[in-house]
Amino acid sequence: MIEITVNGIPLKVEKGTTILHAAQANGIDIPALCNHEGLTLDGNCRLCSVEIDDRGSKKIVASCMFPITRSISVETETERVQRARNTVLQLLVNRNPKSPIIQQLCDKYGVKREERFAMEPDLCIRCGRCVRACEANGTNAIQLVGRGFDRHVAPPYEMETDACIGCLSCATVCPTGKITYDESPGKRKIWHKEFDVLQCKRCGIYFATKEMLDWAGRPENDRDYCDHCQKYIESVKFLTESQKK
Amino acid sequence: MRFETLSDFKNYKNHISQEQKNGKEIWICGGPGCVANGSMSLAEEFAKALVKKTSSDDSTSFWHSIKVLIQHEDKNPEQLIKIGTTGCMGPCENGPIVHVEPDGFYYQKVTVDDIEGILSSIKENMPYKTKAMSGNDGKPAEIPSAENIPFLAKQKKLVLGKMTSMSPLELEDHIAHGGYSALIKALESMTPEEVCNEVKASGLRGRGGGGFPTGTKWESCRKSVSDKRYVLVNGDEGDPGAFMDRALMEGDPYSVIEGLTIGAYAIGSSEGIIYVRHEYPLAVKRLANAITNLEEAGLLGTNILGTGFDFHVEICKGGGAFVCGESTALMTSIEGKPGVPRVKYIRSTEKGLWESPTVLNNVETWANVPHIIVNGAEWFRAIGSENNSGTKVFALVGKVRNTGLVEVPMGTTLREIIYDIGGGVAKNRPFKAVQTGGPSGGCLPGSMLDTPVDFDSLTAAGSMMGSGGMIVMDDRTCMVDIARYFIDFLVEESCGKCVPCREGLKKMQMILHDLTEGKGQIGDTDALEELAEGISDTSLCALGQSAANPVLSTIRYFKDEYIEHEKDHFCRSGVCKKMFRVTIDEEKCKSCGLCSKNCPVDTIEKLDSGKYRIKQEGCIKCGACFEVCPFSSVDIVKEVIDHD
Repeated sequence: MIEITVNGIPLKVEKGTTILHAAQANGIDIPALCNHEGLTLDGNCRLCSVEIDDRGSKKIVASCMFPITRSISVETETERVQRARNTVLQLLVNRNPKSPIIQQLCDKYGVKREERFAMEPDLCIRCGRCVRACEANGTNAIQLVGRGFDRHVAPPYEMETDACIGCLSCATVCPTGKITYDESPGKRKIWHKEFDVLQCKRCGIYFATKEMLDWAGRPENDRDYCDHCQKYIESVKFLTESQKK
Repeated sequence: MRFETLSDFKNYKNHISQEQKNGKEIWICGGPGCVANGSMSLAEEFAKALVKKTSSDDSTSFWHSIKVLIQHEDKNPEQLIKIGTTGCMGPCENGPIVHVEPDGFYYQKVTVDDIEGILSSIKENMPYKTKAMSGNDGKPAEIPSAENIPFLAKQKKLVLGKMTSMSPLELEDHIAHGGYSALIKALESMTPEEVCNEVKASGLRGRGGGGFPTGTKWESCRKSVSDKRYVLVNGDEGDPGAFMDRALMEGDPYSVIEGLTIGAYAIGSSEGIIYVRHEYPLAVKRLANAITNLEEAGLLGTNILGTGFDFHVEICKGGGAFVCGESTALMTSIEGKPGVPRVKYIRSTEKGLWESPTVLNNVETWANVPHIIVNGAEWFRAIGSENNSGTKVFALVGKVRNTGLVEVPMGTTLREIIYDIGGGVAKNRPFKAVQTGGPSGGCLPGSMLDTPVDFDSLTAAGSMMGSGGMIVMDDRTCMVDIARYFIDFLVEESCGKCVPCREGLKKMQMILHDLTEGKGQIGDTDALEELAEGISDTSLCALGQSAANPVLSTIRYFKDEYIEHEKDHFCRSGVCKKMFRVTIDEEKCKSCGLCSKNCPVDTIEKLDSGKYRIKQEGCIKCGACFEVCPFSSVDIVKEVIDHD
């Protein structure tokens, strides 16, 4: 265990824990957008910037990525941290004014959109959580493409791709609500691609696309029920059989 | 030629050093500047003239002994005259350059008409005065050897040293010039740890710009636990106006690879990758040629010289993104992914390329290594200044009289480089600033000219060493416009991964465009400073962190110009077109008419008084009249806003 201080509060943390984790576990609030529990870390939004004092050298680091390997002291509300955070937030709200989470953060930290530098409103903050989720699935259907200001998320050549299985992982992890999809009974459309959604023969919900089940390797003859009902049916079968015995 | 053991190599070396080497050598510069000025066809003409001499002149044996290097890369052993090319000799402004050895004479702006003259001067053992390089008084030097030529006299050519009299293609030539002695010494008499310590003791610091101590980097990589380690060469030179690494890779590829091999031996790596941008096709070709020759000679590959040390080198061509010069982005790019940087809280020496410990050094850093091993750390430390040992290569460009490639000991002042070596500002205009460190560097004013050029002094002055671009600017350069130029470049080149660099530079660009277009608002300069500090603090990689430097350093030294742009909407340098007008002061005008003759749009009229006047309606504000007026009677004044 390593002893550190966050805003003067002494904490004991496991070696390698990130500053953000250590802070969150101890109820210290650090705003963050691009990190997500289930995904690899990327450290691109820079909102979680904090100031550390590492053996006398003070610097701003991204708390979501910084692994604690020795005793350091962390400050989350110094003037420098506030400037760093407000710079990032200001830049975000200039381009992403309509995202609820950014509005909330701006209200909290008193940042307002600058009309002079207002960009065309866009919900995407290029945090790449969607891309990392797709990567984690192994599907790799979307990627951050383009460079600099034009960087954006897209499937290959901005076209319908075989790689996409319509699982909606990307939309689920998107922090700003940028990734939208059309859903109607039995149909789903996302990333320019239309999917048939299978209906559970027992409970009637639309539970998965055919491509998702293909990807998961579920046999063709075993696709009648949703996960929930499948479990129910299996357990009933198990009970009946054991009673017979 | 293949060396199976260390003694094979040493025998070969003894053998070639015994060969008589008093024949004359004519070397024609094959650097890009000289090639553009026709040095290739000049070299061919030289060879032709020499062939003629060998068949007609009475002293054929004398001519036979001359070695001329020309462009054919496929060498024909049957020919009596050896053919090939040299790398960049440095004085690019005055190319094509011809260098005669062993006298060490340099000739500039040589044309086909000078061939006969140069050849007869060689026979007579005299310098050829007509095209001798300029001496101290600006006239052709009596004896045009390096010490009499100001451009060369103050330089200390260490890594560029071999390039003026050696073929970049032939390994034999490289070995004859002392190449590969360092690797032999390391393999024969030093342990990997000793090599590491020697480099550490030499004080060598990364020449790519960061200035991180090379030996320390090697040591930490050596100590990382792993089966596999990599050594990489960063040849992704992307700074506008910089061509140091290109010159080295094209002119002396063997030295770079020798340094890399020594590094691999020191850290225990068996695989090296040279990352070169694909815009440098000749560098790629020369490096590939060098690798093939070294593999054939047994100096690369498995069990090198029977020592059991294996080392393989590959070339990886980059797509040309500026950000790929950043170490982690470079590694991501080698891995086949888009070249974006990673957060570096864990160093590459622990987890780099493919998660293995990796040492990445710049081309020039690697080229320094053989010198340190051969001559020792003490010798290296004696060059340069405290904590900044050795030399640094600069690409001296911009409004300077002698542009070119220069190498000076660290600690040489900016003034010495610009005035003594560079010959001062072109066209005798007043000096305004010098930009060092590439797009992430800064601009230093005249008052800082005595700053020694080393990592620490330049950083303290608000600029940085960078990889070695040095752009001289005269009074016709607007500092706000320069900041705009660099920020435009960086907006274009930002990878877009992190918010501050992607969105922040865009905002900075908007402010700078407003300022240079006459739409500046009160407080813009302060806003720029505030934003710059925020971006520096929060950006993910070193490029973002230093991206605001051009803005910060120009504000630091030229704040009055910013305020003028912001408040008065006036550009005193006559660059930002909407913010000035050009007029002729009739008092000072001597009616010479030069302005009128040089005006590209014929908008300067002659008055009845004989004086000249600019008709504002047609003026395109190009500044041609300003530059040609011998009496400084052309003024740049504030644009009068028409309220009619």
